[in-house]
Order: sequence, then structure tokens, then C-alpha cells
Amino acid sequence: MKKKIFSLFILLFYLSCSTDDVEEQVPNINTTTKPLNNFDRQGMLVFWADSIIIPAHQKFQIDLINLSNSINDFSSDTSASSLNNIRENWTTAYKSWQHIEMFNVGKSEEINFPVRMNIYPVNTQRIEAKILNSDSDIENPNDYAAQGLPAMDYLLYGIGANNSEILEKYTSENSEYLSYLIVVSNKMVELTDLVVSDWISSYRDIFISSTENTATSSINKLTNDFIYYYEKGFRANKIGIPSGVFSGNTLLDRVEAFYKKDMSKTLSIEAITAISKFFKGISFHGNSSPKGTSLKDYIEFLETTKNGTSLGQLIIDQFELSRTALNGLNDDFTIQLENNKLDMLITYDIIQVAVVLLKVDMLQALNINVDYIDADGD
Amino acid sequence: MKKLYTMTMLLSIMIFLGCEKEVPGPTVEVEVPGPTVEVPGPTVTVEVPVAVEPAVYAFNRDGVSTVYYSGQTTRLNQHDEIKGKMNDATSTKAGILAMFNDGTGFTDATLDGSKKVGNKTATNSANTATNLAKFEGWITEFVDVVAVAVNANVDATAGVAGSVSDAGGGSRTGTKVNAKGHELNQVFSKSLIGAFNLDQIINANGSFGYVTGPKLNPVSADNDIPELHYTSPGASEANVTKMEHYWDEGFGYLYGQDDQLDPQLGQGGLLNDYLSGVTASYNTIGIADNIYNAFKLGRAAIVAKNYTQRDAQAAIIKVELSKVVGAKAASYLRSGAGHVTNNNMASAFHSLSEGYGFIFSLQFTQKADGSPYLTYDEVNAKLTELDAGNGFWDRTAAELTAMANAIDTATGVNTTL
Repeated sequence: MKKKIFSLFILLFYLSCSTDDVEEQVPNINTTTKPLNNFDRQGMLVFWADSIIIPAHQKFQIDLINLSNSINDFSSDTSASSLNNIRENWTTAYKSWQHIEMFNVGKSEEINFPVRMNIYPVNTQRIEAKILNSDSDIENPNDYAAQGLPAMDYLLYGIGANNSEILEKYTSENSEYLSYLIVVSNKMVELTDLVVSDWISSYRDIFISSTENTATSSINKLTNDFIYYYEKGFRANKIGIPSGVFSGNTLLDRVEAFYKKDMSKTLSIEAITAISKFFKGISFHGNSSPKGTSLKDYIEFLETTKNGTSLGQLIIDQFELSRTALNGLNDDFTIQLENNKLDMLITYDIIQVAVVLLKVDMLQALNINVDYIDADGD
Repeated sequence: MKKLYTMTMLLSIMIFLGCEKEVPGPTVEVEVPGPTVEVPGPTVTVEVPVAVEPAVYAFNRDGVSTVYYSGQTTRLNQHDEIKGKMNDATSTKAGILAMFNDGTGFTDATLDGSKKVGNKTATNSANTATNLAKFEGWITEFVDVVAVAVNANVDATAGVAGSVSDAGGGSRTGTKVNAKGHELNQVFSKSLIGAFNLDQIINANGSFGYVTGPKLNPVSADNDIPELHYTSPGASEANVTKMEHYWDEGFGYLYGQDDQLDPQLGQGGLLNDYLSGVTASYNTIGIADNIYNAFKLGRAAIVAKNYTQRDAQAAIIKVELSKVVGAKAASYLRSGAGHVTNNNMASAFHSLSEGYGFIFSLQFTQKADGSPYLTYDEVNAKLTELDAGNGFWDRTAAELTAMANAIDTATGVNTTL
């Protein structure tokens, strides 16, 4: 008889004791089921338009007129002190700009206002080519990086190694540098006038009466603009890109106001102030206490909490942490990056926390969809 | 008394030792000829050693780590610098070619040496020469055509190379493109994710990738001894087998710029960069853990000399890594379509150039059955479709979305999620 040993024991040790046995923390978001429309949506739009957006634009408009006038003065008296007047007015305008870059609706959206005012790094090669060729047409989209506040940063601080070299460029006969400075200044005034007059003459009424909750309604669009600005204009452009968060290596020339140097921190503080005031409902001319309804009021009305804490408070706390982190940096971010890049990266991480609170948690509570395509950073 | 058994038997004893995750183990069928068999007395137990998945990718011999892959790290870093040069209008053709083919001339001089990217590109798949020629073609076209136009301040238009900027509110400016709208450093870099990363890890249709049977099987006897061939940093004599080191080199092509013990993902500009996004999206959530776990367990299986278990992990690696490439091929076409709709052509061309490179990379993917999502010919047909007429300038959002849908169908990844 055939005998066979055939028992085969397979010992399977199921030992996949996983490293992720701590359950990933799922944020616990709670929102009431109150109808969104029970909140005074129009009241919020009126406050945004009349107390924040329009006054902020008007302030910027005045600053640009002052800037333009000082350039006029300079053209008849190319002195160091006239140049300094231009620089001071440019500095003031650049700070005011931080309060309006986030409001990209209406005419602003139509004419690419934010990118024509503040794309950096500035394309100096293109500016020099324009100047060499006496080319005053700056309407091609490729010219957007050769105009606006960053172009003026270069023209006022970057075209020479020191003040006398810069002044020399303007005082030489038939200076095309002066002509281009005027071209840039006039374009900024022209575009800003368009946006301001549109708000006052017609867009304000359209804006405040669009109270529905659709992709094209005012609250949806402006809230998206606000978060996009926080994520891109503030977080990525001012901190992330120069620190190399997306590229690996530090990119010093991507710092805002690169040629002025010692202003990058001031502008970022101004930006977090504008962000925080808008979120809390503090009017443009107000300083601290809320004067009107805001996104914070809205999510508090909905009683939205995250892990038991008010979402609105979490966001405000995070803004304050961001401000504190920014305050700890050098006035000149290029120096900060050269001396202690880690602190910039830590600041980025602190700012990043609120992206999730705003873009995921707040939008979910408000039932608003993200309407922009994420940029991948390179 | 004798006990009779029927023809086929499967005995397996499964011992579960305090686990939460269940992994299907191998089943073994033993065919017994003859109608009946007799089993006398005690049974003989044959133990197949089965490796346990370690917590992290760390392996030692006599207290010294046996894991190292500095050559892979060098090549990945070389790529990152080359990618930058492929977007720098002051680059020279000779300079970029020297970096790519000879591994010399890097700004970071520590990258100069015997390692190079070019001789590891598209070598483990069919059509090596024609594919490699494309990379050199992109280098040449960037320097000779695009950079020249950019330096002359030419504004790109349909059929004309130069600079292009967003006009629909987007903020991408000065994107350097050829006549068809290709941003060549993106095409070049994303194509390497298939032709270099994937090809070096999973393919064996030419030379042999590091995590493949043809590479690993011939050194099995050697590994069984174990015969020590390589000396890891910190060791005074040879302490690593060939098979262990090959697997580590495969690991290095993915994690060479990352933390071996705690991958952060998103490191460098190649495949690792995309793990972070894909593992958080679509129907591929958690994919990065599957991949890291498979690398760990496969390496442990090599130490345990269990090659069946090793191959099972290699199969997971090839299938899951391929999904990362498949997902990005479709998702960049979708984002490109969105930018086209918004009239942001610089952003559109940037996305589409990335998509173009990822589509090129699809020929280096492998499904479970070993076939790619798209063959060499199918890839070229797709790229020809993208290049029709004036290329990206002519593509509509509807066309791009349809192409993305077709790629999703081929990959099984749903990038609309």
C-alpha cells in the first residue's frame, strides 16, 4: 500500500501589529441645523461693502494720487529729497494695498487688478527691455510682472547699487527710467480709479443684493477670495515661496518688496491685520472692537464648534499666533532667511493651521464650495 | 487502525498573535496522487519562515544598519538641479547634457561623480533608445528655442515659443513654453517619474529594476547562505547580501530624499513628491502607507529568506506606485481644463505639461498582470492627440476632460473625487 506523508503545516503568524494603531484623530465638527438664511446675510454684505471694502479702496486711491503727485514733482526736480518723497508715498500705498488684495470681485476680477498691482518677483529683464525700447505698452499679460507696486520697488530701490546711482539713472538726459516710472504710476491710478468708481456707481448695489447661496453669490465669492488670499497671497507668496516650502531651496528674490528690503515684515503684519479685521468684522477705519457682522459672527450664529471649541475663536487665536510669529522675524525677510530660515518655516506652519480651519471647517459649516484650483507650488 | 484521507488536503494552522490588521497569508495546496493515502504515526512539520512586518524600514546585522542608498539620493538630487536648469534661460545645452549624461557640472559639486540620471533612464523597458532621445530632444529644444525666445522677450502665441502669463486672474507669469505650449522642464521632469523612478524600481524588460524577480532571483542562493557582498557605512567588513542591497536601492529610488524611518513624503521633485497628494485624495487614500509597508515587509522577507512573501510585496509596490503615476496623468489634465476655462494659459500650460510628462510615464507602469496602463504606442497616440494643431493652445476643456476620463478608465483611479 502506498504510503505518503503529506501533512504540511503552514504556520502563519499574523503579526501585523500596525504602527498606526492610534486611530487617526477625526475632527469633531458640530454645526446647528439652523437655516443659513436666518442669518442677516445682507447685513453682512452691506457692512463689508460700506465699512471695509470701499473705504479701503478709497484710501489706496488717495495714496496713489499722492504717489503720482510726488513723481510729478520729481520730474521737475530730480533731487534726492524728491525721490525720498516718492519712496515714502510708495511705502504708504504698499501698506494700504494689503487691505484690498483679498477683495477680487466685480471690476477687480474683470481687469486682473490684484495681479497687475502686486505680482512678485518683478521681471526686471522685461522692465529694462521696455525702458531700452521706450515701450510704454504694458497690456500684455507678460507685462503684469513688469508693473504695479513691485515694479516700482525695483525702479525706486533696485536700478542702482546705492542712492546716487539710482538718482543718476533719473537725472541723465531724456531718462527713460523716469518715463517708465510715470507709465507704471499712471496705470496704477487708472486701474484703481476703474475699480473704485465701479464699486461706488453700480457694483455696491449688485454686491449687497446677491444674498443667495450659489457659486456666484457675493458671500460665496468673497469668502472664496478671502481664503484664496490667505492661502496664496499671504501664506504662499509672502512666506512659503521665499522660504522654499514648495521648491526645497530658499528663493530670496521672491520676498515681497525685495529691493526695499526692510519692509517685507511690515507688509505681512499689515496683511494679517487686514485678514483678522475682515474676519472679525472691524471696519476699515476702526481699530479693535467689531462694528459689524462678519464671517466669525456667521459661524458663531451657526454655533459651529471643532472638538468642542468655537470655530470662530479657534481661527482668531490662530491669526494671533501667526501675528506673534511674524513679529518675531527680522524686518527684512532676506536677512531672516539667511540667518534663521527655520523660524520662517515655523511661521509658515503656524499660518498653515488656519488654512484648514477656514478652507475645510468653515466652508463646510457655511455650505460653500471652494471655487478655485489649487496651485501646486512649482 | 488506519485513517484514510481524500485526495487533496489543505492544512493550515493560523496563529493570530495579538494583531489588529489581517493580512491574507499564502495558502498551499498539496495534490496527492492515488485514490487514498495512509498516514502513519506522527506528522512531519515543515515550517516556512514568515517574516513579520517591522515598524520601520530599519535592518541591522550585528548591530550595524545594513540599509544604504546614497547613489539613489545623489541621482534624485541631480534631477532637482537639472529641472531648475531646464527653466533657466541662461542654461547651456552642453551644461545640461553634461549633468544628465555624465553626472558633472552641478552647482552643488557634491553631486558630481560616477552617478548619473541619464544611464538610468528608460533602461529597464522596451524602446530605451527612442525614449531616451526624447529627453535629449527636450533639453535641446529648451536651450536652442525656448530660452532664446524668452531672452528676446518674445510673447508666446499659438505656434510661437516664448513667455506666457495668466490673463484670467491667475498669478502665473513668465512661463517659458515652446511653440506648442510645452513647459519643457515640467515635461522632462514628469516623464522621468515613469522612465527613471518607476522603471528603476519595478520594470525588468531590458535591464532589471531593483524590485523585480529577474533582478532578485539570481541572487537567492547567495542570500540563503547568506553571502555578504556589500559593506554598509559604519561596518568594518562586508555585512549586506546582494538581495538585501538591491531591495534597498529600489527603496532609495522612492525615498532617497526622505526619512527612511518616518517618510514625510513630498520630498524632491520626482515620484516621492506626488505620494503626499495622491495618498490624501481620490480612491487612493492611504496608498503611501501600503507602499512603505510593502517595502518594509518585503525587506524583512528577504532577511527571512521567504521569497514568495517578498514577491507578494513586490507586486503590491508595482501596482500601488503605478496608481500614483496614473492618478497624476489624469488629474493634471483636469486642472489644465479648469485653467483653460478661466483663460489662464500659463497655469493651463504648466498643468498640461505636467500631465504630458505623466502620460509619457504611463508606459512604465504595471498593473497586477504586468501590463502597463498604456503601451508605448498608446502613449504616443495620446501625446499626438495633445500636440495636434498648435498643441496646448488648441486644446479645449472638453477635450482634456475626455482624455482624463479615458485615463481614469485605464487606471481605475477616480480623479473626479
